[in-house]
Amino acid sequence: MTEPKAPRRKTAAPKRAAPKPAPAKPAPKPAVAPAKSPPPAAARVAPRRRRPETHDHRPLRIAHLYPSLLNVAGDGGNLIAVSRRAEWRGIPVEVTAVEKGETPDYGRFDIVLFHGGQDVEMEVVAADFIRHGPSLRRAAEDGVLVFAVCAGLQLLGRRYVSNAGEVMEGIGILDLETRGGPQRFMQHAACEVTIDGVAETVVGFENHSGLTELGPGCEPFGRVLAGAGNNGRDGTEGARWQNVFATYLHGPCLPKNPWLTDRLIEIAVSRVEGEPFTLAPLDDEMEDRAHSVALAKAMANKGRRTALEAAHLVRGRKKS
Amino acid sequence: MSSQIRRRPSGAAKPLTFRTFLALSAGKAVARVARLAGRGGGTSITGMVARKVDPHILRKIVLDRGEPVVAITGSNGKTTTARFTAALLRGEGVTVSHNSAGANLVQGVTSLAVRSADLRGRLPGGVLVAEIDEGALPKVVPELSPMALLVTDLFRDQLDRFGEIYAVADAIESVAAGLPAESALIVNADDPMVATLAAKREGRRLNFGLALDHSTDRITRAADTIRCPRCRADLAYEQIYLSHMGDWHCPACKLRRPKLDVAVTSLEVMGLDRTRFTVKTPSGKLTIEIPQSGTHIAYNAAAAVAIVLGLGLPLEHAAASLKSVGPAFGRLEKIEADDRTIILAFAKNPTSYNTTLRALATEDEPRQLLIAASNTLIDGEDFGWLWDVDFESMAPRVERAIVSGTRADELANRLKYAGLSPRKMVVVEDRGPALNAALHGLPVGGRLVVLSSYTPMLEVRDEMRKRGWTGRFWDA
Repeated sequence: MTEPKAPRRKTAAPKRAAPKPAPAKPAPKPAVAPAKSPPPAAARVAPRRRRPETHDHRPLRIAHLYPSLLNVAGDGGNLIAVSRRAEWRGIPVEVTAVEKGETPDYGRFDIVLFHGGQDVEMEVVAADFIRHGPSLRRAAEDGVLVFAVCAGLQLLGRRYVSNAGEVMEGIGILDLETRGGPQRFMQHAACEVTIDGVAETVVGFENHSGLTELGPGCEPFGRVLAGAGNNGRDGTEGARWQNVFATYLHGPCLPKNPWLTDRLIEIAVSRVEGEPFTLAPLDDEMEDRAHSVALAKAMANKGRRTALEAAHLVRGRKKS
Repeated sequence: MSSQIRRRPSGAAKPLTFRTFLALSAGKAVARVARLAGRGGGTSITGMVARKVDPHILRKIVLDRGEPVVAITGSNGKTTTARFTAALLRGEGVTVSHNSAGANLVQGVTSLAVRSADLRGRLPGGVLVAEIDEGALPKVVPELSPMALLVTDLFRDQLDRFGEIYAVADAIESVAAGLPAESALIVNADDPMVATLAAKREGRRLNFGLALDHSTDRITRAADTIRCPRCRADLAYEQIYLSHMGDWHCPACKLRRPKLDVAVTSLEVMGLDRTRFTVKTPSGKLTIEIPQSGTHIAYNAAAAVAIVLGLGLPLEHAAASLKSVGPAFGRLEKIEADDRTIILAFAKNPTSYNTTLRALATEDEPRQLLIAASNTLIDGEDFGWLWDVDFESMAPRVERAIVSGTRADELANRLKYAGLSPRKMVVVEDRGPALNAALHGLPVGGRLVVLSSYTPMLEVRDEMRKRGWTGRFWDA
């Protein structure tokens, strides 16, 4: 299993997307903001609308955690969505796969993606990931953007206690705890997410049995509109602290929630460049359609626990 | 020539109850009506109705009478392996009934038995080859007590139905472990999780796999189980043949791929049309050529050979029996549509998609594409796995894609992010109009590739049948 390499990144952007910048010049520029030339006059008048085509960005450095262990449910689509949507705006990306046994310095990254996996793989990851705690905590305190799904959410929390009472320690940068639940939530789900005062619907597919409770040290990622959310009880979905966003939504989540993807990219780019940055809009017809179909499915399924009867076939066989 | 099939020891056949007779009559009547109405040959509804009348119908006409059954399960290759098995058995003079249309839930297997039996519940003798869905296995197998159980492989297939691949493995494990000692358990040794199924069981067991001196694949993002099934350490591979299948071993606990009883020792895939390979068995070497394409065809054929050996039957006519077994419906099936060719390529999970895409790439396809995904009980609800398919490799070749099915939205979005320009895509949800759109503008002599999961594939194929281009899927 390998990280998407160069050929993927070379994929042509749809021509009708936002105008691409002149051929991406290698920008041998210091990593941080101060060395930039002063923004053009127009930008000074409207600083939140800097036109991307007049600007070279240094690559967004993305860490993709345990891609060969956490590789189910298509969550790798989140990496694809972030990468393409950045590139379509002329922002190159540089993806680093972080596999078991490595000890990355998270301060080197702008975006960290931490996805879901099956129980067995999650145990392997948990044992390895605990070493990453201090570095990832420092980076998160420093504003590095983290997007975590399912097992990722659980391991960013304090701990996961299985039905059998076994404890898997998390790194605790999110004030939350998860316990094994009696059944699996498998359904289309939707929640309302607020970022910078703007609320939007975020959709996906939940597939988990863990029940998560948030502590006072973090907020929910969203408010449940349909689905179980963190625990099927309190209406919270996922968790957020600083720029750490964690959710139970697979789907994969980001490709069908372009609004969320763009906000995440903006947060990361703004931090890199030291000033607020706004992405140019794209033609999101395909994405919007995928979003609205998923939303309709989630709302139609509201109140049920699983999308399919057949899921009952193996209910009770799972240990957590 | 005719070969003797051992009958399982069983109590004297119990006399049929009136209820069972009614169930058989009702099931058969429904099958006839469904066939006349052209509604899928009654591949599921027959069993559904028969079980409504007598819930124990399957047990009564199969288990209680000691009918010899071959059960085939696993994520991929069930249908193709069942076809190969049926061909091999028939080649040796054995009568075979099998659920050739891929209706493999409990209703489908019951349909097979009901349609094959006469009104007194007697099967025609010979072997019942039943393809069984992994999820239905725990329910179906106790009603059959198969003489041979084959597990083809375990890939991620519809996580939304089964939760996790480990849950599927657990379900198969409990069925396999409970198999009587005289029954043969046949496993794909190249798939680590399958190779170690029911490891403690004592009884007949046959391992099949590939023994080539080169890899035919590499580990891709779709790899499902590359952890050691015993200690969970990362596995190492001498050779990788297909996704996570290969000659594996665990550097930590030293678990290795078991010794192969049936081994494919050479393999040549010839375009989209043929595969040629040699199979080493305890009873000699077979050279086989099959008019289907791909590494998985060698796996499926080796599995079928192992089944025949597991039943204790000869393989004297194996090469002749397999040489004309064309693709099951939708498995890279070529259909002549007036002056054009349609290639039906069925794909249901990242691995079958990637395998199919690789086969198509050998002929620089797909260029003109009809691609479909629908959420149904069979096809599943969550299509997140589409993001694990290597559509990036396909995108540069595609000139035009009609995107169809009830989940055309997800598929079209996936293709956009794989690098296929939305300007080359047209979304047409309904399958009939989608086929029209795809054929419209396809030049004479041109080729259309249809890539689809199960249900839309049936629908597209049915459209083609109505136009007289192909027979009914249950005859394929």
